[in-house]
Amino acid sequence: MKLGMWKAYIHVIRLAFIFTLKQAMTDAFVLFGIFVQPLIIAIMALFVLGDQGDEIAIFIVVGSGLTGLWDSVLFQSGSSITRERWTGTLEALVGMPTPLGVIVFGKNLAFVTQALSSMVVSYALASIIFGYPLHVESPVLFILSIIMTVISLVCLGLVLATLFVLNPDVQRWQNGLEFPVFILAGFLFPIAILPQWTTPFSYMLAPYWAAVALHISSSTNPGILEVGLPWIMMGLLSVAYLVIAFWLFKKMLFKARVDATLSGQ
Amino acid sequence: MNTIEVRDLRRIYKTTVGVVRRKIKEVVAVDGITFDVNRGELFGLLGPNGAGKTTMIKMLTTLLIPTDGTAKILGYDVVDQANEIRSRIGFIFGGERGLYWRLSGIDNLRYFASLYHVDPEVTMKRIPQLLELVGLSDRGEEKVEGYSRGMKQRLHIARTLLHDPEILFLDEPTMGLDPVGGREIRQVIRNLQSEMKTILLTTHYMFEADVLCERVAVIDLGRIVALDTPEALKQVVSDLSVIEIEVYGVPEEIVNQIRNLPFVDTVSVEDMDQKQMLLVHSEMGSEAVPSLLPSLESVRVGKVTVREPTLEDAYVRLVGGKV
Repeated sequence: MKLGMWKAYIHVIRLAFIFTLKQAMTDAFVLFGIFVQPLIIAIMALFVLGDQGDEIAIFIVVGSGLTGLWDSVLFQSGSSITRERWTGTLEALVGMPTPLGVIVFGKNLAFVTQALSSMVVSYALASIIFGYPLHVESPVLFILSIIMTVISLVCLGLVLATLFVLNPDVQRWQNGLEFPVFILAGFLFPIAILPQWTTPFSYMLAPYWAAVALHISSSTNPGILEVGLPWIMMGLLSVAYLVIAFWLFKKMLFKARVDATLSGQ
Repeated sequence: MNTIEVRDLRRIYKTTVGVVRRKIKEVVAVDGITFDVNRGELFGLLGPNGAGKTTMIKMLTTLLIPTDGTAKILGYDVVDQANEIRSRIGFIFGGERGLYWRLSGIDNLRYFASLYHVDPEVTMKRIPQLLELVGLSDRGEEKVEGYSRGMKQRLHIARTLLHDPEILFLDEPTMGLDPVGGREIRQVIRNLQSEMKTILLTTHYMFEADVLCERVAVIDLGRIVALDTPEALKQVVSDLSVIEIEVYGVPEEIVNQIRNLPFVDTVSVEDMDQKQMLLVHSEMGSEAVPSLLPSLESVRVGKVTVREPTLEDAYVRLVGGKV
């Protein structure tokens, strides 16, 4: 692909990011999922686990922030194509020279970035209202873990978005996918307490490795090798998600052109 | 080479009927259509609702895959070379959808320009020009949700011109607009025509096709029933006069009774608020009026006028009185 085309795609991702954020900031459903729900989870967790010491507070802050991130991937990124169909913009997007996957990548990046702010809200809640002395043990590794988290969740969002369009029956289970991932990814407690047969499912989820990387870099002072494993896993899963998403996008667009389902009317 | 070449194009929709025993039902939307559009021509597809106009335009804009036949845009096949076509065409579908309502008009245009790979510097110069062209210069900063239907439609037209396409597909661009809004859109289309853009316009407004199009294909039930210039199409009814009769609550039996009179060619009814307009086509002209009125004895009758036929009358005759 020519360099000019890459430049054009980066420009599309940038504008899709900016304009999606602009729109999402005025959506009450989005604001509830990203700010209010993690806040409720953080308050409950702080009341239940808060007496176990100051160290647990940062674990709760990161964990409840991760719930907001997953909600964003599941509901916002997962519905990013369906929503375009409802608003009648999908036909316009498909009929343009930019591949739909590039546009959805920019949109998903905005959703995940916006959801990161739920972690900031939980942090402020724990330190200001509950008075916990919060500090991130390894800030550099924590920021790098956040970057890896964002990339892997954006790629996972591409898979969900196409899957939900290709199979509306799967989308009906969208709500049902929320809490199992909270549990399987170990957002608020370690997966070691779950039955052993669930572990492979956790390993296939980027949110699990995101939780591992963010928890150890915020609560402990890990070596680069220790945090390296979740980063590598997030990288590998991102590539796998991208390959699956590329195939699903092709299949979805062809099917939509055959079945006449782009307009949603 | 023609700009648009359509050969025996067919499109069948499959849908399921029934709850327990589900059956697949096939609906033929476009049934073997063939036509060409020349470079710089404004070509109209005219037909009643459900005739297959939108299906046709969606296949030509690469958004639907034909069931059979071929269509080429600038020599590129709509199925296999969709990406080559997409950067060279612009399209709008009638209605208010297809814009981001929570963004301003300018933001919408910036976003869509990036999707067409228009250079950001060119975009910044072109947006004010396009807003000027469609008469939205003073409203560009406002969110689209506050726009009227006509303004949204004009923003759609600006959107479709961002990448300066060679061909424009306009699907019912004046649908649902008030007379002033419709006139403004037609003026924009005329301006585009003067810039030698190739335009394919679908409409079910006959006068619109008459004043804008160089050639018109009349479609009914997925087939072309006539294709010619508006003037030539009017010749189809040159032997007829049109008798317009205002009536209040005319029952279907009376319309059928008039339809069966030997000197009547076609009859159509247009609803107009409290009343209806009965349009009777007849070779007898004003002489037919005394013979028609006895059939309307039981109905309140208003003004009766006799006039020369228009393209609309030709259309009514071609599609068999379905309006």
